Amino acid sequence: MNAMLPAIDTTQSTKPPIEAAKEAHISARNIAVDYRVNGRRQRVLQGIDLAIPKASFVSFIGPSGCGKSTLLKVLAGLVAPNEGEVMVAGLSPREAARRRMIGLVFQDATLLPWKSALENAAFLLQTADKSVTRKQAAERAGHMLRMVGLADAEEKRPSQLSGGMRQRVAIARALALDPEVLLMDEPFGALDAITREETSRSLLDIWQRTGKTVVLVTHSIDEAVFLSREVHVMGTRPGRIIETLPIAVSEPRTQESFAEPAFTAAQAHLRGLLIQGHRAKGAG
Amino acid sequence: MSTQPITDDVADRSSMVAIHRALVDLAPTFALSFAVLAAWELAIWLFKVPNFVLPAPSAIVTALIENRTQLAAATKATAVEILLGFLLAALVGICVALLIVRFERFGRALYPLVVLFQNIPKVALAPIFILWFGYDLTPKVTLIVVIAFFPVAIDMLTGLQSVEPSFVALMQSVGASRGEILLRVRIPHSLPHLMAGLKVAITFSVIGAIVGEFAGANAGLGYVIQFASTQLDTALVFAALVVVSVLGLLFYYVVEFLERAMISWAPKFDSMHRN
Repeated sequence: MNAMLPAIDTTQSTKPPIEAAKEAHISARNIAVDYRVNGRRQRVLQGIDLAIPKASFVSFIGPSGCGKSTLLKVLAGLVAPNEGEVMVAGLSPREAARRRMIGLVFQDATLLPWKSALENAAFLLQTADKSVTRKQAAERAGHMLRMVGLADAEEKRPSQLSGGMRQRVAIARALALDPEVLLMDEPFGALDAITREETSRSLLDIWQRTGKTVVLVTHSIDEAVFLSREVHVMGTRPGRIIETLPIAVSEPRTQESFAEPAFTAAQAHLRGLLIQGHRAKGAG
Repeated sequence: MSTQPITDDVADRSSMVAIHRALVDLAPTFALSFAVLAAWELAIWLFKVPNFVLPAPSAIVTALIENRTQLAAATKATAVEILLGFLLAALVGICVALLIVRFERFGRALYPLVVLFQNIPKVALAPIFILWFGYDLTPKVTLIVVIAFFPVAIDMLTGLQSVEPSFVALMQSVGASRGEILLRVRIPHSLPHLMAGLKVAITFSVIGAIVGEFAGANAGLGYVIQFASTQLDTALVFAALVVVSVLGLLFYYVVEFLERAMISWAPKFDSMHRN
């Protein structure tokens, strides 16, 4: 399509055939979302089609204002699309969320400052399911804190934790719901480079162990390529998917993955797409 | 668990250090106050200022001692007014804020009225309350409530509304109701703001009590001030002023102590609010 972009081996494309789309864990058909800005309707998402298989790890990458966060909110049932249909595990996103199938993680950890790490991790589970006792919730939250490597921080308040630790508490809180789907909106955006890598590696580890379907929204090309099996590149005005790129980096992903030709090729391809989008935006 | 005594010990020692530092910090203030009082005493003596114009500090101390029974009774009356008024003002302020947040439509109607009401010079309402409720406790308490509920309502409202939107989204995503989000997230989150509002309200309450007594009373420190000034007993006026100030200070520190005891998890908020 674009001569100037590095060639990508598309022979092993994992683009699901029509039959597979039916079994998709998360599916979206022709989604459009309008926001009202200063009284005027503005289309922020247009013609989004998705078929995300179970237990996969996909990323959405794109410039700010491309509606990737809005798309995540649609998948979480927090924003109702104006057009089209979304299904999560065969249910409407709202219903799926109510049945604790969706775990959410945002850029800011959004922990309650008056509660300990353990209480924070247990909090959402207790809210979601009134039949879970305080003790059960605490047990489960403790288990999840150990999983994200915070066994020693149970009693600490958020103000006593570093940014990376707070974010891991937020991930533990989402995991405590035992969701089928983990939706993450730039979860590592506020972290420094090293913490960012460390936390994303532990996320990869959790994903491999739990087999959740993970949807990640990110700004970082490296993060998208390193973590995902498939990257959706989004463009602006209106927000739409301009390309879906399968990532053929070998498994399991390690420090060495960064040096793989498949990694650098995907990285360069995505950078090309994003720069092109950026230029188009500047011209328009 | 075994680390508990150690942390306590550290906390203990650091609080001792804090007290020591506070005393060192306050030393210049004490010195300055003493210097001003000495200069005042000297000036009165040098220029032979009559006692009814401006009493010397020593005369005020004498008035304090001589009228101690009268002042004690007046202090008790005023303190009861302040306490009742403040508690009611806090209750009204909290309820107004909760109503505005819980019932959005009603809140949109109520909020401008609350702000409008705040712009009435409430001191001017004192005679009306006397007219309605007589000379007893009721008009003073009413005046205090009317003066002091506003900072409580506004600060609490700010606290209730400043919860991160993403946290609300998180709660909504698991099907939490408005009431549940209010109870479990918004209200605890608003506590530091509420305490800041209460600190303003307690100082307003002292003002309200004195103004209420000025407007018409037969007891209280405001009444003593007014009565003594008609008798040209200026030393007693000043003595009562000293007592009012100390009373106000005491009330203020009680609220601040409660703040520290209740919301130890919000250490940064205080300094932020003061700046």
